[in-house]
Amino acid sequence: MVSSVRTVSSNAARALPGQRFDPVGAVRVALWLFAAAVIVAPLATVVSLGFGGNHIAQLIDGGIAGAATHSAVSAGLSAVFAVALATVMALLLDRTDLPGRGILRLILLSPLLIPPFVGAIAWTGLLGPSGLVNRFWAERFGGPLWNIYGGDGVVFLLTVHSYPLAYLIIAAALRKVPGDLEQIARIGGASPWRAMRTVTLPLLRPALLAAFTLTAVSNLADFGIPALIGLPERYVTLSTMVYRYIQSGTVDRPLEVVSTIGVVLLLLAVLAVFVDRRLSRRSRQLDGPVTAPQPLPLGGGRIPVGTLAWTVGLALTGLPIFALASQALLPAPGVPLAWDNLTLESIAAAVTAPGTVVGVQNSLLLAVGAGIVCAVAGLVLGVLTTRTRSRDNASLDLLAMLPQAVPGLVIAVGWLIVGRYTGLFDTRWVILCAYVTAFLAIVVQAVRAPLSTTPASLEEAARASGASRLRTLRDVPVAMTVPAAATGGVLVALTAVRELTMSVLLVAPGTQTLGVSIFNLQQAGDYNAASALSLLVTIVGIAGLGLFAGTRAGR
Amino acid sequence: MTPLSRLVSAAALGTVAVLALAACSEPAAADSEQAGAGTLTVYTSEPQAKIDALVAAFTAETGIDVEVFRAGTGDLTARIEAERTTGTIGADVLLAADAPTFEGYKTAGMLQQYTPADVNALNPDVVDPDGYYVGTRIIPTVIAYNTAAVDAPPTAWKDLADPKYRGKITLPNPDVSGAAAFNTAVWLSTPELGEGWLEALAANDPVVAESNGPVGQAVAAGTQPVGIVVDYLVRELAAKGSPIALTYPTDGIPYISQPAGIFTDSDDAEAARKFVDFLVSKQGQELAVEQQYLPVRGDVGTPDGAPALSDLALLTPDLQEITKIQDDAVRKFNGLVG
Repeated sequence: MVSSVRTVSSNAARALPGQRFDPVGAVRVALWLFAAAVIVAPLATVVSLGFGGNHIAQLIDGGIAGAATHSAVSAGLSAVFAVALATVMALLLDRTDLPGRGILRLILLSPLLIPPFVGAIAWTGLLGPSGLVNRFWAERFGGPLWNIYGGDGVVFLLTVHSYPLAYLIIAAALRKVPGDLEQIARIGGASPWRAMRTVTLPLLRPALLAAFTLTAVSNLADFGIPALIGLPERYVTLSTMVYRYIQSGTVDRPLEVVSTIGVVLLLLAVLAVFVDRRLSRRSRQLDGPVTAPQPLPLGGGRIPVGTLAWTVGLALTGLPIFALASQALLPAPGVPLAWDNLTLESIAAAVTAPGTVVGVQNSLLLAVGAGIVCAVAGLVLGVLTTRTRSRDNASLDLLAMLPQAVPGLVIAVGWLIVGRYTGLFDTRWVILCAYVTAFLAIVVQAVRAPLSTTPASLEEAARASGASRLRTLRDVPVAMTVPAAATGGVLVALTAVRELTMSVLLVAPGTQTLGVSIFNLQQAGDYNAASALSLLVTIVGIAGLGLFAGTRAGR
Repeated sequence: MTPLSRLVSAAALGTVAVLALAACSEPAAADSEQAGAGTLTVYTSEPQAKIDALVAAFTAETGIDVEVFRAGTGDLTARIEAERTTGTIGADVLLAADAPTFEGYKTAGMLQQYTPADVNALNPDVVDPDGYYVGTRIIPTVIAYNTAAVDAPPTAWKDLADPKYRGKITLPNPDVSGAAAFNTAVWLSTPELGEGWLEALAANDPVVAESNGPVGQAVAAGTQPVGIVVDYLVRELAAKGSPIALTYPTDGIPYISQPAGIFTDSDDAEAARKFVDFLVSKQGQELAVEQQYLPVRGDVGTPDGAPALSDLALLTPDLQEITKIQDDAVRKFNGLVG
């Protein structure tokens, strides 16, 4: 367990024993009850299943040690790259006068909306052993340029699919970094880049850490990319191991076996959170008003930097979208891309397929529901764990992060069993619960950075003016963090709309979700209709993000 | 946090943990059957559109309403297992996967014995001799090729060992796909192929795709011009205009049979039996042929462009034997192809 921050006895945030009713304490109890219901219950189920039988020997024989190493390395490396890419992206898009940065931001965010397995299929068509690029390269230079299959490809694609998440967290924190500090550095004679490096980046540290932990832990649980890119080269991760044991119908007690793998993933997540807590102890607080930063003029570098940014952005995102669009507009795979062959049939088939309409309704309801629940709970949890002192902060924080590391299938199994005992089985609510379990961490990490840099002086001022502790928390950190929590909620909703692995197991007739509709079309071999539906989700999602970003920027 | 509130939260947490532990330690007696009386519940891995058509025809024929839960084989396994550990199975009929999967459920005592009415008209190879399940389609694994990229297609498994196919082949992953694991075991136990052939195939660096779907996709799109895949997918892609065709290998064809079985927990065994009867009846099999499947009986023809069943060299190995060697076969495959 993570050791919590030492309590300072003089701290006003501690109520003395025997005192009258403590509203903040009541909120904390409510939060614990919530966490017990939506996180502890399913995870405890998984853990107890994992210890229900001893499958360690079987798993060691199945190569769990190698898979755990692959999981840790691929998740860690991809998170480092994702955070680096996201930081450059945030600084360029939000702090400079890069040409067309509004549009480029939306383009760069698109991988957030494309289901990872769809992106993976597109990339293999390009960089597989006989993919387009490699064939072109081999014809000219006698060998393939780069074969995407294997560990390096897994890291690359995990990076591509997780940097948007990191960017949104970092960009939200960057907005809270005042521009006048950089101004002072500039007046003192620092170059614009030096001012950014020595002033802004250190202040972004908590956000970088939060983004790193979230992406690393989420990438531990990703299944689509390691399955499509890693397995052909026998690069097995823990999440693909889960599917191996559940897919082959001949394994004895498959749930116990995969729950044991789930426990190993939980341990890796505990490690990640522990490292995060150790590193984020030394964070700086910012005092004073936040003035709007001056966009940094790129000057003579504007065109070359702009060209480079646009090239990288389009290379990373244009291809999967182009692949999706071409698949959506062609009747079948392998039909040459020509005007005469284009058809709207696949799109029509996708929209009119039975289940799609129900899927859209359910997914909207569930995604919005999960977004709201996670935003509220995540905000309360974030405020309590960062702005009050208590011995159980660390455990609350850890609880919120843990489910991120567990593959959807394992969480769904936990909810299947809990659902049987609570009567939620085969209802929409069980899917909503699973979404909240799985995505709460997104909001918690999104609000952490802005909260940890909010100055304590405002709260002290409120307390000095006679506000109660609850009132103080509500008026200062909660009010200041609502935008970040809203961003987190939108992220949760977008992730939930294209969620697949949990929904597939938890749907019942009439509770189908959009992800399951896509999956059903794909399983029926109708990739073109599946692509069409993914494309529609992507377009609607980007439009939604655009509107959301537009209203945010307009305020 | 006050001591009182700490106590309350600890108590809440403890309660939930105890409940969760109790939940897993012993099956509950409570039966949370969700489906209303008079409806049949079917768990299946059939594609949605196909199972919808099948159920519509069955309801028109018998007046029995059917609720379908459709998912991939792995998800079905997980769901059935979760239901088994917490009470009763929520389905009456399972229609999915392959014989070895059903052998497992049979051994666990989860299936009822039932022999369909029309059993004498069926291919005897797909009927469980103990009478716990019956195959409903013949789903052979064949060689698919991209017609734009391949002029002289391979006609036998042996051909795939030819170095000219190096880097061009793709096949489903036996680690993930039950059917692929089954095929690997069958190849290894076929004397003409066996380990030598598998080694030669591995030397050709095949790309191991996740499952049959991506294999068909890669072959049709031309990213990997030759693939090892189930036959009906190829017919469907070709019908939609993809440049893809198939050959039924002359040196033996492994196949799975998408069996149907009735769970012991079924609370409407009468309706479940009618459903199984319908699946293998003349009408049900005609529908299967319409849906591009090879049938399990000889009096309904075969899909357009497919040969007659009697012309195919189907491999019918001893299931007990295959189930026994399957894990080793997959391990051998992983050792060779890597």
